[in-house]
Amino acid sequence: MKKKLFEFLTKGIPFGMFLLLLGLQQVHAQNTISGTVVDNESVPIPGANIVVKGTTNGVVSDFDGNFTINASSDDVLVISYIGFTKKEVTVGSQSTIAVQLDPDVEELDAVVVIGYGTAKKSDLTGAISSVSTKSFENQPVTRVEEALQGRAAGVTVAKGGAPGAGYKVRIRGVNSVTGNNDPLVVVDGVFGGDLRTINPNDISSMQVLKDASALAIYGSRGSNGVILVTTKKGAGKAKVSLEHFFTISQLANEISTIGSADFARTKNTNLIAGGAAARYSDNDITALENNPFDYEDMLFQTAIGNNTQLSISGGDNKIRYFVSGNYANQEGTVITTNYERYALRSNISANITDKLKVGFNMYGSRETQVNNPDNFNRFKGSVILKALTWDPTLPVQDESGEYITRSDIANNNFNPIATLKRSNRERAADRFNANIDIGYDITNNLKYQLIVGVGTISQNIESFIREDNPSDANANHTQINFSNAKTTNHQISNILNWNKSFNKHNFDVTAVYEFQGSRVLTNGYNTAGTSTLNFYTSDNEDISREDFFNRGSNSAIKSYLGRVQYNLDNSLYLTGSLRVDESSRFSKENRTGYFPSAALAYSFNKLKFIEDSNVLSNLKFRAGWGQVGNENINATARFDRTSPNGRTVFDGENVLIGLVDSQEGNPDLTWETTTQVNVGLDAGFFSGKLTASIDYFHKTTEDLLLRTVLPGTTINQFQNVGEVVNKGVDFSLSGSIIENDNLTWDATFTLSHLDNEVTKLTEGREQILGSINSIDGTSNPLNVIKVGEPLGSFFGGTYMGTWKEGETFPEGVQAGDAKHLVDEEGNNVLGVIGNGLPTLTWGLNTTVTYKNWLLNAFVNAASGFDVYNQLAGAINGGTGDYRDDLSPLNAGQWTPQNQTERPRRGAPNNLLSSRYIEDGSFIRLSNLKLGYSFEDLISGVNTLQLYVSGQNLFLITDYSGYDPEVSSTPVNSNNNNVDAGVGIDKGAYPNPRTIALGVKIDF
Amino acid sequence: MKKHMKIFKEKRNTIVLVSAVFSILIFNSCVNLDPDPVEFDLPPGTYGSVGDLDNAIIGVYGQLTNAAKWTTFHAPSWAGDDITTHRESNKADFREFDQRNVASANGRLLNNWDAVFNIVNTANSILERSEGLVDLGVDPEKVNRLIGEVYFLRGLAFFHAARVHGKIPLPLTRLPDPNIGLSEVSEVFAQIEADFLEAESRLPDVYPGVMPGAVRPNKGSAQSLLSRLYMHWAGFPLKDTSKYTDAANKAKEVIDNSGAYSFGLMDDLEDLWKLENRFNNESVFTMSYCGDCGFATANLKNSILGLPGDFDGWQETFAEVRFFEDFPEGARKEATYRTDLDWENFVDQKNPVFKKVAGPEGDLPSGAFMTGRSDFYMRYAEVLLIYAEASGRSGNVTPESWEALNKIRRRASGLPYDTPDAGVDITTGDIAELAFEERKWEFAGEYLRWFDLVRMERVEEALTRRDEPGIINESNAIIGSLGTDNYFSPIPAAAIEANPNLAN
Repeated sequence: MKKKLFEFLTKGIPFGMFLLLLGLQQVHAQNTISGTVVDNESVPIPGANIVVKGTTNGVVSDFDGNFTINASSDDVLVISYIGFTKKEVTVGSQSTIAVQLDPDVEELDAVVVIGYGTAKKSDLTGAISSVSTKSFENQPVTRVEEALQGRAAGVTVAKGGAPGAGYKVRIRGVNSVTGNNDPLVVVDGVFGGDLRTINPNDISSMQVLKDASALAIYGSRGSNGVILVTTKKGAGKAKVSLEHFFTISQLANEISTIGSADFARTKNTNLIAGGAAARYSDNDITALENNPFDYEDMLFQTAIGNNTQLSISGGDNKIRYFVSGNYANQEGTVITTNYERYALRSNISANITDKLKVGFNMYGSRETQVNNPDNFNRFKGSVILKALTWDPTLPVQDESGEYITRSDIANNNFNPIATLKRSNRERAADRFNANIDIGYDITNNLKYQLIVGVGTISQNIESFIREDNPSDANANHTQINFSNAKTTNHQISNILNWNKSFNKHNFDVTAVYEFQGSRVLTNGYNTAGTSTLNFYTSDNEDISREDFFNRGSNSAIKSYLGRVQYNLDNSLYLTGSLRVDESSRFSKENRTGYFPSAALAYSFNKLKFIEDSNVLSNLKFRAGWGQVGNENINATARFDRTSPNGRTVFDGENVLIGLVDSQEGNPDLTWETTTQVNVGLDAGFFSGKLTASIDYFHKTTEDLLLRTVLPGTTINQFQNVGEVVNKGVDFSLSGSIIENDNLTWDATFTLSHLDNEVTKLTEGREQILGSINSIDGTSNPLNVIKVGEPLGSFFGGTYMGTWKEGETFPEGVQAGDAKHLVDEEGNNVLGVIGNGLPTLTWGLNTTVTYKNWLLNAFVNAASGFDVYNQLAGAINGGTGDYRDDLSPLNAGQWTPQNQTERPRRGAPNNLLSSRYIEDGSFIRLSNLKLGYSFEDLISGVNTLQLYVSGQNLFLITDYSGYDPEVSSTPVNSNNNNVDAGVGIDKGAYPNPRTIALGVKIDF
Repeated sequence: MKKHMKIFKEKRNTIVLVSAVFSILIFNSCVNLDPDPVEFDLPPGTYGSVGDLDNAIIGVYGQLTNAAKWTTFHAPSWAGDDITTHRESNKADFREFDQRNVASANGRLLNNWDAVFNIVNTANSILERSEGLVDLGVDPEKVNRLIGEVYFLRGLAFFHAARVHGKIPLPLTRLPDPNIGLSEVSEVFAQIEADFLEAESRLPDVYPGVMPGAVRPNKGSAQSLLSRLYMHWAGFPLKDTSKYTDAANKAKEVIDNSGAYSFGLMDDLEDLWKLENRFNNESVFTMSYCGDCGFATANLKNSILGLPGDFDGWQETFAEVRFFEDFPEGARKEATYRTDLDWENFVDQKNPVFKKVAGPEGDLPSGAFMTGRSDFYMRYAEVLLIYAEASGRSGNVTPESWEALNKIRRRASGLPYDTPDAGVDITTGDIAELAFEERKWEFAGEYLRWFDLVRMERVEEALTRRDEPGIINESNAIIGSLGTDNYFSPIPAAAIEANPNLAN
């Protein structure tokens, strides 16, 4: 650090002296000055603006970067060019001036997008985390969500292991039980982006709006936080950038289960003890010993992935362009799973006149996902859970090649390998977005911007899932689904901005009028029990087994927004805003929501103690308050509905379909409202080489949009019920530790603490049982929403070890069985036994470069949460469809000789037990990359970097399953959202360990 | 100057263009905040036509089918001494009933509870919404019949739950009171009686245009269920023995009008369980299924559900050993059990197999679990035996009472039921107890025995006998109490969770 300071001083002082000397010149003659504008690599910049400061006297550099201008010696020339830092040069005695412009690497840091406008970072009053390309360019990411993980304090990202699976992004905890907790994604001013489909390479920056003062301008859709994505614009000389990486992924760790031969021996022993004959002969056992069937090995594979990026960008003062293409193909580590994405973007902007700017962005993508295990029958666990609990003495196919789909022992469901191998479920989604951005400067201070966006998403699912054999009697487990969903969106935003300074008073006023509409149409076809071999030939002759459906919904929002930003002498900052939303999701009387916010910030930078300090270079205090809403529920939530699912037959042949009431309307339904207070402090040290930021927040979400089941019925009703509080601290620290010609080392550390609590439910209700059901075939819930507990707590009995010999057993219990806390009547006492929401998450991203070498490491961690390991429960057997104990021998089970707290082999098992609650805390090396850049290796190639990287290389955790970070998606997510069941592992797709090899070339 | 003009013109054009765009986009909001709720959905409301009412009633039947197609619908009957299940496998919920150790968290109990109240709620919704229909000048006879049907189904649903739980809530409004409490058994029975009486008065002698066996109920169906209700009313727990007279009278009414209702006995008991006879006149209320129409409307209780692993069966419904051994030899035993199977040497679990469940040999497709077999929710044979038993218990025995009992005895021995046979017929003795004993054998495996044991307080006697050591011992030993304190199943924990007033 000392060295760096020295370096700063040695470089800074002469420059200051130079300026001082220039300032002393007092010559007033008008001369013709000639000069050249070049970039940092001495390449001439054509089209740069050279203006005499304070005048309209300006010229543009020619193709070779040359210019001539009339100026007097005390004039200051302002040289600017898009993408480069503006430079001011005092003419002085010079007659020729060579100007070198530095690329504006700080551009994104200095100016942040705040929604309906931009602001200098130093002017911010709200809590905003910025993630620039720079922070993730060292990790080969195929997904934008990966770029957010651990890099923005307060943002948690939970990956799904399946290729192309949705990642769960949460900002400052979770508020809603039924409504979706996904943050709003706004891409270049247009609502409703999907991070999954965006090419990470297209992103120039992302801002995460976290506190209500920043969010309130998004009103009814801001309560889950907003991620503003700004895509790249070209600048300067044409630049071609090509990157390709190749990945190899594998299962990171294995779960041990009993081997085939041991299983057969144990089964024989139990049968003989029960008075039955042995099932396996000695020959059978020897054969199994020599050729065991390892269903885990059969399920997982080494997966290959390829990702290619190409972008061409450039521009001058008239036209800027950025055109890119991306192809990603990722096999899953579970056999037959795959994800493929094509993405094309074209961003073009033009300065038509001095006052009129037009931008046109187009984005198209196609995603294809094959055999996502979440779409297979998971009522009694995923294919992963089934594989680990399936009869290990049977092969997948018999000698004649016929698939063996069932066994009368171990798992009572269909053979998962046979299912995957014969199934093909393809989800293809085509997305097309186009938006026009017109900016017109009405006066120097008054600007008008119009954003018009249209988007279409067409999703098509073709699913052929075969579990049984068509030759079986009543073969009914070949399910065919075909569906199309088309979503069309449109948005029109009118933004008027007035910006003026009066002495020390700076005003920035924004007014917005905006409306958006969305229409979703789905239709589809289902049939079951067909004997054909594939999707297209499956149109069943038997129309009584065919189903068709057509559904749709419309929704719309109309909004008005006003925002005033004021600052006094760049020291005191005040922001106030009000957004008014009218939403079609609510009836006329309850449709209009008002979302106000107020914030202040005070910068101490002009105070003497900072100006004089060698250490502290920036100190700013921020405080804000505001309200935001959530309307993330079905477009039809307020209406009465019926569903055509009463099926019966009167004549034994013809199915009749009757209507039953399925939803009771609620005209009183309105927004869920989150009120948030945020207090923060930003500090910079050593001239900004080290920056720190800390925020405390307290969010109260009231009138939760809850999909309730009316008591005593199965009729749903959406209600505004209950209250959830999230409070916590976000901290980030970022700095350049070493910076010299050969060696640089910088690091960013983010940390978030979160405390979530449900504080109120319906009058008189202490808890609502969750809708994530046990896999044991009963409808008992695994989760509960309870007052005083975090959202989505685990529900079950309290495990008290084993019954020991000599104790007085209840009826039907023997020594070595599991013991649970019971009430006076002998029933298990069920209650909250854990929670899956981490209270602490952190990330450390650090990069070291030495000459041409680059090393990047990214570690992320979470602690203070549990995982409900249903997979471990299923392996122990003894309940529901898990008929045999497949846990490894000698895993410390109770025996009469060694009376441990782990129940005896084959003991009756209860999956709803704290026995299966495990600490989920982990530290993960998410990324480690080593790269080498060649310079001037090939002429015309600016840089060529080769790199190797590994993801998920190690994981430190006590969790016994595959991965504590993944949780199973609820089978039925209609009633509670995924956050009400976070941390429940019913055989979730684990995060793979991945090695990537890549090459990056810039021309 | 010219150049400037041009620039000015260009500028003006731009301004005109921009202004045009402004005015279009600013002032014409193109969103609709009031979407048409009927564009995509048919919301419920007051029925506008008989067709709407018809559609809604099919909805109630749909809920009945969805519940009754599963063995779960009858899971409490595993408590009887006639039915048992696999000792392990995934049958824990059934074992809880079998072993008299039913937890309030029992999943089948909850599923049944929800199923029953779905039917009740939908029925209530129809009754409320159809109020306006009467004035619409639509076919009053049809409306009356449809409304009668709704009352019948609601009564049936209440009765189905009351037999299991005793005290149940009695929601009678479209949306139930969320804080509704349990009603006393007397109130529950009075409500069921009221519903069946309402049905009786509205339903025709024969429902037009349906298959034999009252696939949709007729007057006789309502009367038959009333007679069954009165038998329970006269027994445990209310023991209002005056109801035996009502039971006898209602049963007699059915017998006297059996011609009009198209009810009668099947000649050969064995034929009753054949797929080809799924619509027959012996059933006084039939639930119909389609085996080839997919999961939603298939009967999922029979065939491999009744077979052990030895036949790739699904090990759900087995016959109790002791009951089988005590079963009088003869045609009825042959019609009840698959005596062709050597059950004593099964590897999986040694229990006899019900022919009533697994199907007569070769009748159901082998390995099938979805069948088109009908459920005979109540048989005319039961009406006859109720008449015999109730006339005995009410002290009003007539020759017709004996004839009713003897018809069943004759058929059980493989004889024509209408032809008196001195070798089989009896005309002396305690007819009530003889009829009660006759029910035991006649309805074995038909999910009725447990409720007979409850109403006559014979649980301890029967289940102690069940567990006496025999040639092969029972797999699932009794764990819980056999006293009257354990006759009724607890209210499902989840239902209490949703509404704590259901706790007591």
